[in-house]
Amino acid sequence: MANQGPAKADVLQGTLDIMILQTLVTLGASHGYAIAARLEQVSSGRVQLNMGTLYPGLMRLEQRGFISGTWGVTDNKRRARFYAITAAGRRQLAVDKREWNRTVTTMQALLSESK
Amino acid sequence: MSVMREWLRRLWATFRNAPEDAVMQEELRLHLDMLAADLQRRGVTPEEALRQARRQAGGVAQAMEQRRDQRGLPWLEGLLQDARFGTRMLRRAPVVTAVALLTLTLAIGANTAIFSLVDPLLFRDVPVRDPARLVQFTYQYPRDPPLNNFGLAYYEQVRDGNHVFSDLFGLAALTTESRTGEDPIAAEVVTGNFFQALGVRPALGRVLDVSDDKPGAAAAAVVSWRYWKSRFNGDLRVLGSAIDIKDTRVPAPMHVTVVGVAQREFSGIVVGYRPDVWISLSAVPDAMRSRGGLALAARLKPAVSIDQARAEMRVLYRPTRDALAQRDPQWLRVEIDVTPARTGLSTPLHQQFGGPLLLLMTMVGGVLLLACVNIGSLLLARGAARQQEMAVRVSLGAGRFRIVRQVLTESLLLAAIGGVLGIVGARFGATMLMRIMMSGTRSPGPSPHLDIPLDARVLMFTVVVTVLAALLFGLMPAIAAFVSTPAPALRQSGAAQPRSRRVFGNGLVVAQVAISLALLSVSQLSIAHLRHLRDRSLGFDRHGVLLVSVNTSRAQNRQQLAALYQDIVPRLEAIPGVRAVAASGLTPGALAAASRFLQAEGFDEPVQDRARVSLNWVSPNYFATFGTPLLAGRDFSDADSQEPRRVIVNQALARRYFAGRDPIGRHVWLENERDPYEIIGVAGDAKYQDIRLPAPPIVYVFAPMSRGSTTLSLRADVNPTTVAADARRIVTEVMGADSVRRVTTLAEQVDAAVVPERLMSILGGFFGTVGALLAAIGLYGLLAYTVARQTKEIGIRMALGATRGDVMRMMVRRGLTLVAAGFVVGAPVAFWGTRFAATAIEDLSGGGVPPVATAAVAMLIVAALAAFMPAHRATRVQPVIALRSE
Repeated sequence: MANQGPAKADVLQGTLDIMILQTLVTLGASHGYAIAARLEQVSSGRVQLNMGTLYPGLMRLEQRGFISGTWGVTDNKRRARFYAITAAGRRQLAVDKREWNRTVTTMQALLSESK
Repeated sequence: MSVMREWLRRLWATFRNAPEDAVMQEELRLHLDMLAADLQRRGVTPEEALRQARRQAGGVAQAMEQRRDQRGLPWLEGLLQDARFGTRMLRRAPVVTAVALLTLTLAIGANTAIFSLVDPLLFRDVPVRDPARLVQFTYQYPRDPPLNNFGLAYYEQVRDGNHVFSDLFGLAALTTESRTGEDPIAAEVVTGNFFQALGVRPALGRVLDVSDDKPGAAAAAVVSWRYWKSRFNGDLRVLGSAIDIKDTRVPAPMHVTVVGVAQREFSGIVVGYRPDVWISLSAVPDAMRSRGGLALAARLKPAVSIDQARAEMRVLYRPTRDALAQRDPQWLRVEIDVTPARTGLSTPLHQQFGGPLLLLMTMVGGVLLLACVNIGSLLLARGAARQQEMAVRVSLGAGRFRIVRQVLTESLLLAAIGGVLGIVGARFGATMLMRIMMSGTRSPGPSPHLDIPLDARVLMFTVVVTVLAALLFGLMPAIAAFVSTPAPALRQSGAAQPRSRRVFGNGLVVAQVAISLALLSVSQLSIAHLRHLRDRSLGFDRHGVLLVSVNTSRAQNRQQLAALYQDIVPRLEAIPGVRAVAASGLTPGALAAASRFLQAEGFDEPVQDRARVSLNWVSPNYFATFGTPLLAGRDFSDADSQEPRRVIVNQALARRYFAGRDPIGRHVWLENERDPYEIIGVAGDAKYQDIRLPAPPIVYVFAPMSRGSTTLSLRADVNPTTVAADARRIVTEVMGADSVRRVTTLAEQVDAAVVPERLMSILGGFFGTVGALLAAIGLYGLLAYTVARQTKEIGIRMALGATRGDVMRMMVRRGLTLVAAGFVVGAPVAFWGTRFAATAIEDLSGGGVPPVATAAVAMLIVAALAAFMPAHRATRVQPVIALRSE
């Protein structure tokens, strides 16, 4: 019912925050669809974010103060919410990246050994 | 940190409802449109693009659901929803809700009120450093209450001679008086180490220290924070200002200089006494200092146990005791005791009210339990009526736990409202109880004051009580909701109920009757005890006597006192309605007393058996005035003033010293007097100092007026307060303007002496009545419900020939069977209750079967009344209508 997370395992657990934050660093302030499109493009179509995953994620990041949302207008003159990374978000991203790299290194070492 | 921020925002959003759903939806729709537009650009047809976009990004509705969950706190939202729904349900059954709320308010309020008195008196630590290491000293002379009252010399001897205390300090409350009529300043003399030993720091200036005890030190004082704020308006210039303190026992006022203000939290270590000012020993005149009256307390050294301290104190006390025993062998029985003082020094307040308050606490606990069972059965009956509602909800897919949560939320809501109302009620209740408790203090000086703050401890207690109550009474309907099976409930309109539920409902009524029986027994016991104390065993008639206590210090010698007596008594006797007038040094039930050793003609006793006898100085007509019979010999007469060495003794004295012989005409000698007294009469036994104790042996010495102070007692045929104005005027005319010290009635004086018993009797009676009422409501509810459910059965019976009498008997029998079962369960509890009461109330008279039997009769009457109404309604059932109603 509540808080059950994404229904499809389309995003690896815990990576959504990094992906969003990193995308915002690359693109600057963007709306939800731009983030999703960018991720799909970078991953060559492997990451297709469900709205039910992306928007609660954005909301959580905003509630934690890592990003901030403001209302703006798209190129097609439609109202949209633009998200930008905050200073706290950049710090968090640095921490997350370090954690991620360490995990990847560990996993690689482990998997190459068990071959 | 950031996670906490997230939760705070979600909590905020729960109540603020932001951002709006519409706005969130707009964002999602934009997402879909843009995705669809991108797909179209790649060559997909518009319809296909929209379909694909929706498949890839998910539905708006699902995403909205997940966003809402992230936005707020779903469980809290659910709770609020439950609460809103609960409020609606409570409003829909206003009578049930009102009865339940009234019951809860009373039960929670009573628990809070009693707890807010018990806590500061018995449980709460005094606000000083490490109160767990504080101890106090007491000794108990036979027949006296325990005392913490020592001489300065003894204090110094123990202070310098002990190895178990890191600090030993003393304090003594002064009996101050005020010229202006307002409450006099509450002053406490303390030894110099008092503040250091307690770890109390100054808020301003300095506190007293050992240098203030040195001979020749200036008379210094520390005022309390409260006094500083109220009297000096918190002015910094308080330091160095002078205060005059007038003690009734010394002629001249003491001048002290304020050197500091104590820290805010500190208001002394004697519960019920809140000093305005602490003054150094050097401020006290030498004559008063040598008199003693110091209460001693100490701080145990680390790693010293209280038993070690007690053992050492007993050794240190032995020389003092042996010296006292030289003159009075009773002292050999006295041992010093060392007891914990973490909740403050013991006072008569503890000794008198500790037991009764604990008993009351137990009683209100019983009332709460009874209230919970009562409300539980009420809700259960209503739950049966709501079975269809529950069944519908379960059928529509509500989980069982969801429904249990709903039911428990309703209970909590009910309890919470009851709790809030209870706290409000408790404030009034506790203040009223305080007033009753303090009405018995007649000692001169500032009146005692017990702080009953509505603090975190009391609130916490109330919250715990409220939640426990909610769980207790909410559990029954919750379990019923949990096991409810939707299918049968939906199929029929609920005529029959499962057997298990009927047994459960009966069990609840039996439990209510049982608890109520125990409550009623204890209340019956306390009421009987008060009646016994106040009416049956006094030995004097407390009604119709006015007591005027006068200051006779202007009469210098016996001749002047006798002249005063001759002048004033005839004028008082002339007041219309006054039948007899007497003067005496002491009156029955007054706390003051005098006692001396006595030797009687022809009676020898071993030294260690010697005990003091009580003494009173009385004029002619004393016995007639107080309604105490003269059993032999004669009363004093005015002629006795020529031959004053004549006495009247009471029966107890006659029995002790003249067993089997006629005491009239025999002689007795009082301690420190050479010449004997001749006994001219024997009076009946009458209570004297403490009316709870049996009458002590008393010698009545002839003395028309006593020097210093005398009480004039007027026996009136009318209400004694109606002659008070005349009496006061006459005394003022004869003896001067401020000669009247106090005017009261004997009944008031007796009442003031039995305040704990009155408190127990009033409150015990109240809670007993409440308990019986609740049990009656429970029984009534069950029977009314039964009648409503069995209308059809009753109709069939009547159609088959049952008379109204048969139906009536059937219903009443059902009710009384439950009551009888309640008695069987409740009797052991009731006996336990009366035994517990006997440990809590000193010298409790009566007990055993009578109070329980009386309670059972009372309960039976109330239950019969409660059963009659639904039974009567059952007889009104019209068979035709009842049978058609299906």
